[in-house]
Amino acid sequence: MIKGSYFSGETSDKKDVSLYYKEDGFVGFYELNIDDVNFNDINISSRLGNTPRYINFPDGSQFETLDNVAIDDMVKKLANDPLHGLAHKLESTKSFILFTVVAVILFGWLFVQYGIPAFSKQIAELLPEEASQYMGQGVLDAMDKGFFSESKLTKKRQNELTQLFNSLLKNIEGSKNYQLKFRLGGKIKANAFALPDGTIVFTDELINLAENDLEIAAIMLHEIGHLKNHHSLRATIQQFSLGMFVMVVTGDVSTSSSIITAIPVMLVESGFSQGMETEADNYSLEYMKKHKIEPNHFATMMEKLEASYSMEYQVCMDSLSDKGNNRLKRIKCINDAVQLSKSESNDNDKSAMDYFSTHPSSKERIDRFRQK
Amino acid sequence: MESTNIENGTNIVNKPFEFTGKAGEFFGIWIVNVALTILTLGIYSAWAKVRTNQYFYGNTLLDGSSFRYTANPKQILKGRIIAFIVFMLYFAASNVSPFFGAGAFFILMLLVPAFLVMSMAFRLKNSVYRNVRFNFDKNFSSVYKIFAIPVVVMSAYIFVVSQFQESIASGANGKPEFPIFVFVLLGIIALMAPWWEFMITNFRVKHSKYGNADFSFSATTKNYYWLYIKMVLVLIAISVVVGLVATGIAALFKSETADPSEIMQYMPVLMFIIIVPFYLWLFAYLATKRTNLLYNNIDIAGHKTQSDLKTGYMMYLYFTNTLGILLTLGLLMPWAKIRTARYRASVTSVNVVGDLSQFVAIQTDHQAALGEEMGEMFDMDLGF
Repeated sequence: MIKGSYFSGETSDKKDVSLYYKEDGFVGFYELNIDDVNFNDINISSRLGNTPRYINFPDGSQFETLDNVAIDDMVKKLANDPLHGLAHKLESTKSFILFTVVAVILFGWLFVQYGIPAFSKQIAELLPEEASQYMGQGVLDAMDKGFFSESKLTKKRQNELTQLFNSLLKNIEGSKNYQLKFRLGGKIKANAFALPDGTIVFTDELINLAENDLEIAAIMLHEIGHLKNHHSLRATIQQFSLGMFVMVVTGDVSTSSSIITAIPVMLVESGFSQGMETEADNYSLEYMKKHKIEPNHFATMMEKLEASYSMEYQVCMDSLSDKGNNRLKRIKCINDAVQLSKSESNDNDKSAMDYFSTHPSSKERIDRFRQK
Repeated sequence: MESTNIENGTNIVNKPFEFTGKAGEFFGIWIVNVALTILTLGIYSAWAKVRTNQYFYGNTLLDGSSFRYTANPKQILKGRIIAFIVFMLYFAASNVSPFFGAGAFFILMLLVPAFLVMSMAFRLKNSVYRNVRFNFDKNFSSVYKIFAIPVVVMSAYIFVVSQFQESIASGANGKPEFPIFVFVLLGIIALMAPWWEFMITNFRVKHSKYGNADFSFSATTKNYYWLYIKMVLVLIAISVVVGLVATGIAALFKSETADPSEIMQYMPVLMFIIIVPFYLWLFAYLATKRTNLLYNNIDIAGHKTQSDLKTGYMMYLYFTNTLGILLTLGLLMPWAKIRTARYRASVTSVNVVGDLSQFVAIQTDHQAALGEEMGEMFDMDLGF
């Protein structure tokens, strides 16, 4: 006998009833004057924790009870369905839960750390070149409108650098649509970046930091490294897969406010980005070693780049009456700034914010090029 | 606690909702859901969703009877597959060009009101209490009418702003004129928001049914304006206090050291101290007051619902939930869901006139899952 409530399905009226079942497979209620029903014609909801169980009858009526044990007992006696209650068995077995927790954490970590990057790399290499061409169309136009203005470098200087760029490309396969462009950075300051269609943009401010053109070559190689490794495409695929993964794992958790997923996603994406910067650095480093270019040039340029964002450098450049057209004065400004920043920062501590950065810490990057 | 009072000869009893879910028990269900979802490459997610909802419905009791969620996982899976394809197309479109992205976004936006209606219908038709289904009238024309005015105003705003940006980009002659019209439109949008929220809530409630009994909604536009006016007043008060404290601190630092970088060093910490409670309050206030306003004005055949959420306690819940989830890499997510549901149920009740036995069921068709799942993928949670 199983105690519970009976609802006809026509109204919300509730009747307290007791359900009985017989060995021959018929089910009925003591209190109600209705015919017994064959067990095969009723539908018993699967067990879910200690939530109530529902039995639905062919006439639309429903029996609700909290006595899960009795229902399980009845199912065992009358039904021959090994799958009934399987989910509940898994969900309530302590050792299985513990195993699942470990497995999910381990898998999640491996998948995000290694799975997504590897799989994005595979896909990016499989996709035709045109895929990259389509991406980021109009990015340079938008940046020209928003930030850049025309380069102030002389035609002669631009030609020199383009020749340097082409001489680097000679040794690189599949680089025929790579091209170099110059812009006055303005707010962007000293910077260089590669667009997916093969355009590499250098700002005048960055060119002007270099004492030796091999320093510029080192940065060119870093940007070429991004292009060779299809980094834009990979970043897009990674972002998409990570989004899908988060969606699958969190499911429809409406209580989780966005910050709960936003912070881990930001951390992982920074990790991906740092990984790609390191790859581009590696490309530059390999090339320089192979073609007997001193890797120190990259390190020197990184130090200058970092120092060029300092207040001291900006003040020094602003004080130049000729707006930095004098090469020697310009170089003195940056070298002073580098010396100053070297004397100031001796701490090796990685700050918490570094994990959110899109680039590895400059010190790490510089050290790699100094050693080799 | 039940309290009884006699009014005009009818017996009114305040019946509280009860939530009997346990964090430990739900943890097992949750982690198995996650594992099976990963193992089946997302396919099990439909079953996971149904089991999760069934757990929360089944543990919510009113007058000794539970609620039941009856959605068919296969139907949800179908919706998810379509939503996934749409999501991929949208992602691809916005990566190929901003133009395609904007086009896809525009089309999706046009469909939002329809999704909203389908999603409500799906959820309510799959909610059962005492073997009587809830229901929702699929009235598409009125939902599009409600959306029409805000869409026109928003489009005008986007158009004016993009024109302005265009003029900055192209017109190098002199400083570009900032159209005063932008402010007017922004003002209209802000002033319209509470009215619009009322309209949409009113629509949702008034088209809902339990059995054949209509829901009625007694809140007014005025209630919604008050909710936001109070919010703005508190925000102003907080800003004034923060401003005063900030100037105080700045003055303090100036007297000791002239180096501005010294102060900048502490900026992240300061921002954290100020911004986190600020957001917490805003979230909790809106969640609390909106829910209270909604449930304190619903009437189903004379039975009135009641909700008494407290902003302070919600802040505490949100804060401890977020902290717990972050510190345990998400493992406390089930615990957070359970305690939130328990608190919500504990302050919600129904003033039952007589008893709850006289509702009459109506026969309904089953609603396709597409609307609800599309809504979920694009992050619009529309449930009660």
